Amino acid sequence: MYELTRSLAAFRPELALLIGLLLVVVADTFAGWGRQLMTRLLTIVSLAAAFGFALELSAAGTRGPLFSGMLVIDPLGAALKLILVAAGLVTVLAFSFRNSRELHGLGHGELFTLVLALVFSCLLLAGASDIVMLYLALEMVSITSYVMVGYLKGDRLSNEASLKYVLFGAASTGSMLYGLSLLYGLTGTTSLRGIQEYLAGGIPDANRFAVYALTLLVLAGFGFKIAAVPFHFWCPDVYQGAPTPVTALLSVLPKAAGLAIALRFFYGAFSVPERGPWDLAGSIDWTALLMLVSVLTMTLGNVAALTQTNMKRLLAYSSIAHAGFLLMGIVALSENGARGLLVYLAAYLVMNVGAFLVVTLVHLHEGSFDLRDYPGLHRRAPLLTLAMSFFLLSLVGIPPFVGFLAKLYVFSAVIEQGQGAYATIAAVNAAVAAYYYFKVLKVMIIDPGNEAKPALELARVDQLRLAALALANVVPLFFWDWIEGWARGALVLYAGR
Amino acid sequence: MIGLQHYLVLSAGLFALGVLGLLTRRNAVNVLMSIELILNSANVNLVAFSRYASGNLGGQVFAVFVIVVAAAEVAVALAIVLTLYRLRRTPNLDDASILKG
Repeated sequence: MYELTRSLAAFRPELALLIGLLLVVVADTFAGWGRQLMTRLLTIVSLAAAFGFALELSAAGTRGPLFSGMLVIDPLGAALKLILVAAGLVTVLAFSFRNSRELHGLGHGELFTLVLALVFSCLLLAGASDIVMLYLALEMVSITSYVMVGYLKGDRLSNEASLKYVLFGAASTGSMLYGLSLLYGLTGTTSLRGIQEYLAGGIPDANRFAVYALTLLVLAGFGFKIAAVPFHFWCPDVYQGAPTPVTALLSVLPKAAGLAIALRFFYGAFSVPERGPWDLAGSIDWTALLMLVSVLTMTLGNVAALTQTNMKRLLAYSSIAHAGFLLMGIVALSENGARGLLVYLAAYLVMNVGAFLVVTLVHLHEGSFDLRDYPGLHRRAPLLTLAMSFFLLSLVGIPPFVGFLAKLYVFSAVIEQGQGAYATIAAVNAAVAAYYYFKVLKVMIIDPGNEAKPALELARVDQLRLAALALANVVPLFFWDWIEGWARGALVLYAGR
Repeated sequence: MIGLQHYLVLSAGLFALGVLGLLTRRNAVNVLMSIELILNSANVNLVAFSRYASGNLGGQVFAVFVIVVAAAEVAVALAIVLTLYRLRRTPNLDDASILKG
């Protein structure tokens, strides 16, 4: 009984989302003009409540297993939950059914239910400490995102995107499940802690290949969520076909949750307690494998983005490239690596959602996602262009913006581990990425065209959203001591002892 | 005497068949059936390990959860395939090719 109440107390962020979800479903059944406002308000309130609870858990430094070891709460998990809930909150606040042309006239309640379910399942994934829970949470994230991508029912692009997503998703989570079943067979337990105890005892030579193979299979599931090469094929198509607000949400949430569970899986199951939590078992070179995945991911993402003219596709490839940079935090296999991951995820949230907001607003007024319709925007929409330049420069990683600090953290973590060559490849990649981000800016500011078209009449609330997100890319720098302290305090991973 | 090895071979065969179907089939419904094969190969593994190797029921419980999740996943996937059919009058995946580049 005591265990249950203690678990529920540490489960408050998720409970807030769950209650919000049920209330949204109920509110959506009432007719009348207030229904749409009501569902939106309930969603925002429950996300804000979840954020508050996550903040409380993060500040209190609660740690320990929940619900008989199915989930686990620790400062790192709480910090990741904070970022996940913030991602949901920022997206819901930044986008509305009014400023997205694709969502005009569609049902509010269903989408908000799905948003809350997605955030909820991402929180579960970030805290999973049992492979049954891990699989269930991963599938819940997947299934909600399939439905969200196909939200525009009569739209061929949206339908095709969700079809590709569901097939890639089912195939990669199926492979992951097969890997997990072998892991269970090998270790005789489903809890990550039990697996860790087995592996820490030394892997018999006969089983070394099995451990390697099944970890590759499990990585397929994580790689699919992160959109890491070679499991990225769905990403550009899904990002292009899905409604843009959903794309913005999907570019942050499942990626963050996937990285969280990858971190937890490697550190939770493969760490050797006697050698400290950051030393992995198995005498298998996990670092080299993850490094290879990371290098391939950032290179392919950047090179493919160079030739894109559809803004949503361009941002999709850019998000693949960022997944490569985010993986640097895991490759470093150190406390500083995990801190880099946290900072990078928080920065990636504000810059990426901002870029997608600009794309949505241009689509609202121009009806196009094509870069060829962007010339002359600096004259017709100065605020929008200014905000976009903030987001793009932050994505490049130019000093006064948060994107720079994010890159600084992951790069320094990697260099600290003596992986200089890897850092060099990543730096070259960052330079390549600068080309296509600057190309978008050049088209918006320098290229001639659209001289005769009237100025874009942005709604007051949209201007406010743009300004807020643009400031979010600069202002954190003035509070860096506080953020640094928060990230440092969050570096405790409960390994289950 | 049927032992653990027999089940593991069966499951590996099912997994291979599933992957093969996934790569070669063009009809969306057939692809979904291949995915079911992959999920069920994992189920065979889980139950066999639970019975012969681990000595606990964790694997059998896991298998029950997998069956539930598979049902949910296929329900969503079939709804999407049905929408594909309504929009294009075909269940063929090769025809879903507007998005590329």
